[in-house]
Amino acid sequence: MLSRIAWRNILRNKRRSFILILSIMVGVIALVMTDAFSIGMMRQMLTNQIGADAGYIQIHRKGYHDDPALKNSIVNTAPVRAALASDSAFVHISERLRTFGLISSASNSSGVSIVGIIPQEEERITTVHKYIVEGTYLTGKPDDIIISTATAEKLKVGIGDKVVIMASRIGGSVGSEACRVVGLFETFDSGFDQTHVYIPIATVERMLAAGGRVSEFVVNPMDPKQTDSIARQLRSRLPADFEVLTYKQMLPLLVMQIQLYDQIIYIFYAIIAIALIFGIINTMLMAVMERTHEFGIDMAIGMSNKRIVLMILTEAFYLGAVGTIVGLAIALAINIPLSHSGWNLAAFSDSLKSVGIGTVIYPVVGASTVLNAAVIIPLATVIGAVYPAMRAIRLQPVEAIRAS
Amino acid sequence: MNTNASEIVRVDNVRKVYSDNGVPVDALRGINMTVLPGDFSVIAGPSGSGKTTLLNIVGTLDKPTEGAVYLDGEDVASKTRRQLADIRLRKIGFVFQAYNLNPVLSALENVEFTMMLRGIDAAERKRKSLALLEELGIGELARKRPNEMSGGQQQRVAIARAISNDPRLVLADEPTANLDSDTAVKLLELMEKLNHEDGITFVFSSHDPQVIGRAHRLLILKDGQIVDDKVNV
Ligand SMILES: Nc1ncnc2c1ncn2[C@@H]1O[C@H](COP(=O)(O)OP(=O)(O)OP(=O)(O)O)[C@@H](O)[C@H]1O
Ligand SMILES: [Mg+2]
Repeated sequence: MLSRIAWRNILRNKRRSFILILSIMVGVIALVMTDAFSIGMMRQMLTNQIGADAGYIQIHRKGYHDDPALKNSIVNTAPVRAALASDSAFVHISERLRTFGLISSASNSSGVSIVGIIPQEEERITTVHKYIVEGTYLTGKPDDIIISTATAEKLKVGIGDKVVIMASRIGGSVGSEACRVVGLFETFDSGFDQTHVYIPIATVERMLAAGGRVSEFVVNPMDPKQTDSIARQLRSRLPADFEVLTYKQMLPLLVMQIQLYDQIIYIFYAIIAIALIFGIINTMLMAVMERTHEFGIDMAIGMSNKRIVLMILTEAFYLGAVGTIVGLAIALAINIPLSHSGWNLAAFSDSLKSVGIGTVIYPVVGASTVLNAAVIIPLATVIGAVYPAMRAIRLQPVEAIRAS
Repeated sequence: MNTNASEIVRVDNVRKVYSDNGVPVDALRGINMTVLPGDFSVIAGPSGSGKTTLLNIVGTLDKPTEGAVYLDGEDVASKTRRQLADIRLRKIGFVFQAYNLNPVLSALENVEFTMMLRGIDAAERKRKSLALLEELGIGELARKRPNEMSGGQQQRVAIARAISNDPRLVLADEPTANLDSDTAVKLLELMEKLNHEDGITFVFSSHDPQVIGRAHRLLILKDGQIVDDKVNV
């Protein structure tokens, strides 16, 4: 019966209840949007980095991660191939030979990471082939090279132009190769673009006189959730002079940043909740003060303070629940399509690119986001009604009855 | 203190001083009175004489500045706010001049409400409330909200609400003041009948001759003092 009374009191002043529900809806939508976008952004930063270069798992010779020098690359790849053989159905594998070196044209030169890849394998692991904006991906010819538009600009070269790459071999002599630019790429991360060029692995082997060596095996589970368990299995299968790293170990700063962000989001929640609480206090106080006389009668006929408080909090809870349900429906209606199509933020793309996000953000609406909103917002509404409820019962019955 | 076990109310030397912007107002100045089971008493007196103040104090809605009020032999001053709410719920029914029904509840629900507060289950309280409305001649108004009823009809619902928990005592502060005289007479006859047939105890305040004329006991209040106390007029 108390709940029926609460509903009817809500319907009594439709305009005020509507405004209150509207502000609760705004709170819910703000919360879900903030959450979905920051989760989406963070996840994108991570998947971008994983997709561009790192992959989910890498296998190195022990010590390569700390000192990625040519001398620390794998010489005998047989144990790795053996360890990976039984997993080939669940993972994509690619091998790379990479080194720091110099790329130069007639007019300029630039220090870069020269990455030797097997083009068809690399395509299944990394996303570089998707970012080709001019020309083609590596075609299979030994003197192919792809560089970023930024590097091309710096070197003043275009498709079809010749560039020379060079790097130190083990022992100190310098190897070099002449290559022809076949494609220009531009990823989500300008820093990455300026420092990476791709050529066929055989060409790097020849330049470095390092035939058969591999710097890193990149292993991507088809189901990324399997990363940790596959990494664990590989560790147990491989001799001790190999290291198996997951993206968490390869990109520790990014992973830390995401964890930090997960906590910062609670500050957003708190701000939204506090704003909502003050709005509720304001409106509910008005509603309660208007009904002072009625509460006096309730007290006279023997309604306890506890029940009066309960009735007011129930009203607030219903307002909160309606606002939350409608707000969630709207937030999901906005976010679910956006999570597929993405939200194009081309206007901010330069700054987003410098932090490695890209120009399109795909918000991620998870169960935790919905749950957070469904708990935090009605709770804030009820908390906001506590003070008005206390005010209602602070009055003496006669004073309340005398109020008109 | 000597209290007669059969007394429902004993008011003992009660004084009430209000402060009107710092100026003390003596609303009640040494009131002594008792209410016995089955009483049909009227407190009469001019406006400002303290009738409402006295009823409020008897009904535990207000506290005396001095003196004591005993309900069924128990000193009201010793009770907590929560206990007083429970005493009002179980022992006292109120009828107000302005009816004061809950505007969002139907006639039936207004009566059920007090039973709900007492924890009576839904089916039982609905049955009892309907029976009560029938008894008071407004059974057909059960679904109506207060704003769809006349003053006399609302006051009948208020009486039904007041007696729904079988109180020891019904306090009615000028219950007919807002009603035309025909309606007032019918309402008074109804309350007389409840007093007569069901033994419900009533204490009224009024300056309405029609109410005063029916009193079994008449207390005349003037400037916060009882100046006359006549039985069986
Ligand atoms: N809360 C209050 N604060 C100050 N003075 C009050 C208060 N309540 C009542 N009074 C004063 O106490 C006196 C008695 O008031 P009370 O309302 O009891 O009279 P009453 O007999 O019921 O009058 P009426 O017939 O007009 O209803 C009056 O002088 C009134 O002004
Ligand atoms: Mg009065």
